[in-house]
Amino acid sequence: MSDAPALALSLSGVSKAFGGLRALDGVDVQVRPGERRAIIGPNGAGKTTLFSLISGEQPPTEGRITLFGRDVTRFPPHRRAALGLARTYQITNLFPRLTVLENCLLAVQALGPTKLHLHRALSRYPALFERARSALDSVGLNGKEGETVRNLSHGEQRQLEIALALAGVPKLLLLDEPTAGLSPAESHLMTALLKKLDPAITILVIEHDMDVAFELTNRVTVLHFGKVIADGLGEEVKANPLVQEIYLGTEYAGDAGR
Amino acid sequence: MGKKMLVWIAGAFVLVAGVGPAAAWAQKGPIKIGFLAPMTGGAAQVGKDMVNGLTMYLDEVGHQIAGRKVEVIVEDTQGKPDVALTKLRKLVESDKVHVLAGGLFAHVGYALAPRVDEYKVPMLYPVMAADDLTQRKPSKWVVRNGWTSSQPSHPFGEWVYKTLGYKKVVVIAMDYAFGWEIVGGFQKSFEEAGGQVIQKLWPPLGTADFAPYLAQIRRDADAVFALMVAASALRFPKQYQDAGLKARLPLIGGGVTMDEFVLPSLGDEAIGTITPLIYSAALDTPVNKRFVKEYRAKFGKVPSYYSETCYTTGRWINEAAKAIGGNVEDNEKFLAALRKVEIPDSPRGPIKLDAYGNPVQNIYIRKVEKKDGELWNTVIHTFPAVSQFWKYKPEEFLKQPVYSRDYPPCKYC
Amino acid sequence: MLPRHRVIGLGIMLLLLLVAPPFLSSFLLTLLTQALIYGILAMSLDLILGYTGLASLGHAAYLGLGAYSVGVLTTRHGANFWVTLAVGLLLAAVVAAVFGLVALRATGVYFLMITLALGMVIWGLAHRWVSMTQGDIGISGVPRPDLGLPWSLAKGIPFYYFSLAGFLLALWVLWVVVRSPFGQSLVGIRESESRMRTLGYHVWLHKYIGFIIAGTVGGFSGVLWGYYNGFVSPADVELATSVEILLMVALGGRATLLGPALGAGVIVLLKNLVSVYTHRWLLILGAVYIGTIVYAPEGIVGAVRQFAKGVKPEPLRSKA
Repeated sequence: MSDAPALALSLSGVSKAFGGLRALDGVDVQVRPGERRAIIGPNGAGKTTLFSLISGEQPPTEGRITLFGRDVTRFPPHRRAALGLARTYQITNLFPRLTVLENCLLAVQALGPTKLHLHRALSRYPALFERARSALDSVGLNGKEGETVRNLSHGEQRQLEIALALAGVPKLLLLDEPTAGLSPAESHLMTALLKKLDPAITILVIEHDMDVAFELTNRVTVLHFGKVIADGLGEEVKANPLVQEIYLGTEYAGDAGR
Repeated sequence: MGKKMLVWIAGAFVLVAGVGPAAAWAQKGPIKIGFLAPMTGGAAQVGKDMVNGLTMYLDEVGHQIAGRKVEVIVEDTQGKPDVALTKLRKLVESDKVHVLAGGLFAHVGYALAPRVDEYKVPMLYPVMAADDLTQRKPSKWVVRNGWTSSQPSHPFGEWVYKTLGYKKVVVIAMDYAFGWEIVGGFQKSFEEAGGQVIQKLWPPLGTADFAPYLAQIRRDADAVFALMVAASALRFPKQYQDAGLKARLPLIGGGVTMDEFVLPSLGDEAIGTITPLIYSAALDTPVNKRFVKEYRAKFGKVPSYYSETCYTTGRWINEAAKAIGGNVEDNEKFLAALRKVEIPDSPRGPIKLDAYGNPVQNIYIRKVEKKDGELWNTVIHTFPAVSQFWKYKPEEFLKQPVYSRDYPPCKYC
Repeated sequence: MLPRHRVIGLGIMLLLLLVAPPFLSSFLLTLLTQALIYGILAMSLDLILGYTGLASLGHAAYLGLGAYSVGVLTTRHGANFWVTLAVGLLLAAVVAAVFGLVALRATGVYFLMITLALGMVIWGLAHRWVSMTQGDIGISGVPRPDLGLPWSLAKGIPFYYFSLAGFLLALWVLWVVVRSPFGQSLVGIRESESRMRTLGYHVWLHKYIGFIIAGTVGGFSGVLWGYYNGFVSPADVELATSVEILLMVALGGRATLLGPALGAGVIVLLKNLVSVYTHRWLLILGAVYIGTIVYAPEGIVGAVRQFAKGVKPEPLRSKA
């Protein structure tokens, strides 16, 4: 997308095939800086695969991905992270046997040069601790620092996911169903937390809960069998007859969920 | 955690220190022999044969040597040099032994020798045969009363050419120093007599499947010379026969390929194989017949050369201790006496040491035959009083490098 | 920093190591020396096995590289300690750098198998490169180092203290590394490699650096080992040695540094001391391994920690 260097993220003609199955098929998505975008679609539509391609965990079969104007199609995940990309996972992906603070420290030092320092103790880097604590504060996990992650409640683990993603001060944040498995009350807290995030951060969020999706974002991209079938403002998409037919009509009423 | 842990640590230390070997014995206690052999691991059975030999001798003399009681402390080397070194330290420093003996593998021999010199405690090597231990790298305190690897090969090479009339021979031997030396001695004298070694195959130690090697054997040879040890020695003869080679190419080889340790586990495929060694259980002398009979009665098996050399080691220590009136505490004198021992009537025949500290002894050419349903190494020829240098002048022999994979070079390959 | 009771515990352990020698028989002293040297090797393996989660079956290679550096350089070139040390460390580091390129392409059991194969390469070289290594008969007659100290290192007690100094140095180096930000990143990689990647870590690079450090420290233990035995042979780099180091780490407790050193001590003592009393020592060693795996899957240090916390160690059970 040479004509749009300002785009935070651009996918053009991106496909991903697993053997004969085309999980994604010629996807084009453009996201402007500061935009809040929801990715919706039924199970198996390819939403999580899309995130894996953006984050670099899987290579696309075809197509081109740019981040902030740079072609990152062949970049490994850590180089994309260095450009300001962070993500969370639908199925909690943390360091369960480490403490909350240790988890966060790993995220904080990930993008700095200190991660390769091996001549003095981590405890001698107070700045890292400060940033880790402030990331924990921002998601409301202060006071849980010393807790081992696997002893946290599910909701707290989801909060820590967000903290890890925020710790690196990302410019583009991918949130994969941040409210999955949360109670309505927890879900409400999470939504409030996400709404408070720095508006400068570009956010893509996969969300099953339509209320959450429309509350957090203004634009929506609808995936169906690996293809983008609609892309636009929330109201436009809701009004799209195709979308109503295959997705909203069946699930919007009361998110069958899981 | 702290206090409990401390108690544990302190307890562990007390325990460790407490079970340490006992303090030195009083001066005129028993004569202590430290014996090193592999008692666990792949060579444990050989180690047992070795210990049996020594035990049998000491039983015969009622555990009395030169009027003093004898105590044997057997330590397990596990067949590893570093363990052998550790056990050597234990035997010398903690047990305060007067004399050491044993060891099976060449690398153990090379590892121990410099330490034995440092400790100044005489050590007998009844089995470890590495040539250089009494050739280019002799040790003052090591007395080899066994053999050198190439010692039986020297007369055998010439004999094969002249008596069996083989002109071209293929060699297949385990790829390590012991194999190289046995092959080297054979090749040297065989080729000097006029024969040709036309191919050398070196399967690595522990080879179980010889098919790839057997397929390579040149069919224009007159015979195959094999040197196998341990599990490979058990497998090789059968595979050689199954490959259809036995009928076409007679099998000859190094003595341990067919020694009494291996024979009971082999079948008819071994029959006819001709090998040289310093001993055969089938040796037809009154001394040996008695030895074999009593050994079988005691341990339920035929003695191997490992048993014989260790049996004779007991005798060796006895002779030396007697010569100095039992004063084994005088290590210099004891060493000198050990070097002067001559045994005219050991089961394997007369033995004395040459100037380099290796036995001059008979070499027996043996052919595997079946008698009363058992395989025996029938002695078909005896070379009396063979030195490690055979007919060569020691000074000149020592100018050549030690036998190796590439020495002597294979001129006819 | 460390809690006070642990500082006191470690201090007492160090004190015992410092004052014990004159009270021990010379045999026990040599065993303790061996345990220290193997302790270094086990701790170095712990960096990649315990902290990074990579089980290597070729770690004896570094012991061999250090020991052969000493063997070859002292017997042929009369090199002094510092030269052999420098060459031993450098050689181990370079070989680890090369092996790392190959082995770190894989994880799990494939990593295990590749390191096994690479270890066999070093074993094969030790065995077959006769002009350099003297093959299976090994290099003997390595003199003890002369550091110009008032005490001769040929004697048991001075060499013990020399090894103890080496042990403490290696412990300090590894201690600093595992507590550094880099060390923490290795733990992260052990826990979740994929998460580390998306967080922005160049995971391979971190593993590679850890692998080289472990190899280099392993080479250091080899240098001491060569001087200690005065002898080097292919038996030092056998697969059996690599397996033994792995067991030392498992027995003592992974990712604890001192645990593997303790494991080394236990195994060295069992191997050499128990075999003095019974030739069934292998059975006892086997029982100890099985007992550890079943009742203390986190090793000795893990069990002690749980005991101290008042938690009953949970035996290994198959999950229903």
